[in-house]
Amino acid sequence: MEIMRVVDELVCTRRVPGLQLCALRILKSPQGAISVATDPVGALIGNWVFVSAGSAARLAMKDATILTDLTICGIIDSWEEAG
Amino acid sequence: MKIMRVEKTLVSTNRIDAFGHRPLLVVQDKPGGPRSVAVDAIGCVPGDWVLCVGSSAAREAAGAKDFPSDLTIVGIIDHWDAGDKG
Repeated sequence: MEIMRVVDELVCTRRVPGLQLCALRILKSPQGAISVATDPVGALIGNWVFVSAGSAARLAMKDATILTDLTICGIIDSWEEAG
Repeated sequence: MKIMRVEKTLVSTNRIDAFGHRPLLVVQDKPGGPRSVAVDAIGCVPGDWVLCVGSSAAREAAGAKDFPSDLTIVGIIDHWDAGDKG
């Protein structure tokens, strides 16, 4: 799993049926790369989270049929980027 | 499989139910390198050099085929000299 920070929410009204109504978050890695993940936990902007990728991302959603390849698995209680 | 070093434990109270209470550890490729989070299937301590598996092997190694992990620690390396192998 990778450690990333929530930088924003993502609104996407027109989407494939397979994505259903799940919440999307914009995440930034410590290296600065931006990605989008589905969010079953309800992370807030500024939270540090850990994410599962690939097929584990689909199992991390309550409904494994949702078409995602990156899912937030939990909010990290305390995290400092430097160490 | 990857050789990684355990840096510290990761505390996450608000997590998805599927993770249960499995211990999570912050691991690094090399000291100072990029960090990842791994599920600990054996019980290691910070400073250990460990063997990690990814993809679907990570799910099964963590205890069940539907466990949503993409990185799981499957072994503690008895002796590892990082400087020796780069």
